[in-house]
Amino acid sequence: MRQFRSMAYPYIIWIAAMIVVPMLMIFMYAFTVKGNDVTTFRFTIENFGKFFSDAIFIEVLKRSLFIAVITTIICVLLGYPAAYIIAQTEGKTKMFLILLITLPMWINMLVRTYAWMGILQDDGILNSILSIFGLDVKLLHTSFAVILGMVYNFIPFMILQIHTSLSKMDKSLIEAASDLGANKLQCFLRVTLPLSLPGVISGITLVFLPAVSSFFIPKLLGGGQFVLIGNVIESQFLTAGNWNFGSAISLIMAVIIMISMYITKKVDKVENGERGIFN
Amino acid sequence: MKKLLAIVMGAAMMLSGCGGNNASSDVPDPVEKYGSDTLKLYNWGEYMGEDLIYNFQKEFGVKVIVEYFDSNEMMYTKLQAGDSYDVIVPSDYMIERLIANDYLMELDKSLIPNIDNLHEGVRSLAFDPEEKYSVPYFWGNVGIVYNKNNVSIEDLEKEGYNILKDQKYKGKIYMYDSERDSFMVALKALGYSMNTENEQEIQEAYNWLLELNNTMEPSYVTDEVIDNMANGMKDMAVVYSGDAAYILSQNEDMGFFMPNEGTNTWCDAMVIPKNAENPKLAHEFINYVLSYDASYDNSYTVGYASTNKQVLADMSSEGGEYYQNEAYLPRTNYEKDEVFKDNPVLKETLANLWIKVKASN
Repeated sequence: MRQFRSMAYPYIIWIAAMIVVPMLMIFMYAFTVKGNDVTTFRFTIENFGKFFSDAIFIEVLKRSLFIAVITTIICVLLGYPAAYIIAQTEGKTKMFLILLITLPMWINMLVRTYAWMGILQDDGILNSILSIFGLDVKLLHTSFAVILGMVYNFIPFMILQIHTSLSKMDKSLIEAASDLGANKLQCFLRVTLPLSLPGVISGITLVFLPAVSSFFIPKLLGGGQFVLIGNVIESQFLTAGNWNFGSAISLIMAVIIMISMYITKKVDKVENGERGIFN
Repeated sequence: MKKLLAIVMGAAMMLSGCGGNNASSDVPDPVEKYGSDTLKLYNWGEYMGEDLIYNFQKEFGVKVIVEYFDSNEMMYTKLQAGDSYDVIVPSDYMIERLIANDYLMELDKSLIPNIDNLHEGVRSLAFDPEEKYSVPYFWGNVGIVYNKNNVSIEDLEKEGYNILKDQKYKGKIYMYDSERDSFMVALKALGYSMNTENEQEIQEAYNWLLELNNTMEPSYVTDEVIDNMANGMKDMAVVYSGDAAYILSQNEDMGFFMPNEGTNTWCDAMVIPKNAENPKLAHEFINYVLSYDASYDNSYTVGYASTNKQVLADMSSEGGEYYQNEAYLPRTNYEKDEVFKDNPVLKETLANLWIKVKASN
């Protein structure tokens, strides 16, 4: 194995250049502000103070977390049955179903979101169907549209993760459980569900992370008045030109995400009977 | 759609360009004349006449590579990063910043004889008073597009910008989602200068926008406003006059009103950055854009006011494309109209306030 170790170097260099260096830069920016004529920058924590002292930013943060949590819950509720059904199938049917899930991902996310704008807008496809029944609903530029867009865009990650852990599962365990007298529901709750939890957990991570920091879905489907934390970060970089404050908010988000990942990992361990947060 | 067409055409032209560079013998060899046969143009999306690039390439035997930006800031970031272009078309305040930071080349006027075609309204504008660095491309104002059936002109004349806070029109207005344009509306409504640095005045404008946000259920949009107003989705919208001209040409129920409190007079102009690889050809291109045919093509396709005085006159007079289109001709010599000044500090303040306005509800 030793001779293969050197093959990891390109990867390490890649990680260093593409992940570590940008992270360090965000860190640097977050803890500095533009200086005066003598020094180009100075260290400070005022960027963080600026964020936490402003009720509007806190409100936006709460809203973002709320939308992301709702999105994640819906993705689990819809994604788990879908993954379960796919895992029951075999061969070509399975490949076809997986293809159906991944097919939309071949198209750029932005394009798909624009398509939803066309479907949801006031004179769009959905509303013209609803108008046949005399209904006139405002769909676009609502939280419904934003959550719909997020669920639509991120649910494949959930389904694929759960599906992977379901199909890796040893089927003989279920047979053993049935032999020992467990009914179907008990089999599912006591065997299948716990064994698929790692997939659910990584699915939650993969949905929650992009959902909480997404900025173009709320912008397009929520309208300019639907501001999430991603939009605040975007505005700091693109219009306000305050990279320091933008980086500070990004860092706050990174910390929140890390904490939530830590908690889900702990919960995962508790479920698996290992030592968790509470014991 | 237009943009897509432009890309396809551009690609097709590039292909054809590779095949026969000296296809027509009467065109002098561009490499000999300009030192190169490629021009790099950096422009806004959907901002050029359909045949402009094609005709220029044919006439001068050159190849044009076009890149698009959707905000001045994005353009500035790329320029800062060291990207090189021959001609860029930024807006007024950004040109001011580019000049101040020494990014621009001084133009050689002897290579741009068509500069005499410019309309007097775009001569010696505040961002480049000596016309040393920039040549105007399109210009216009900002005003309110309104549905003539649902909004009375008396209300508009009486209330001016404050009509945007009139409860009669709750849920029926579009605001332009950009901090400077929104604050322009608020500051003008309050009777202040849109370039003010007075904190008290900015705070008042912030409260004005906040009140609008919380009482009127506005939608904040950018380019979607064009199609949506052409389809008559709402009754009023704050719109750039060039876009308004298009809306009015599509939907005859729509009118355009420029409030008496004053508005923004904007101008996008062509400049040559210092790191341009082909400044000679860049001058030739600028001169070409100012010609009657190219200006006509530009204005006809895009709907923005031409900077060529003859084109402007022809378009807005009887038989012209924008005859009796009240949004086409920009308002000139009105003392309350202003041009944006570059002020990064103010822009940041406003950007922060603007995101707060949008986030509060």
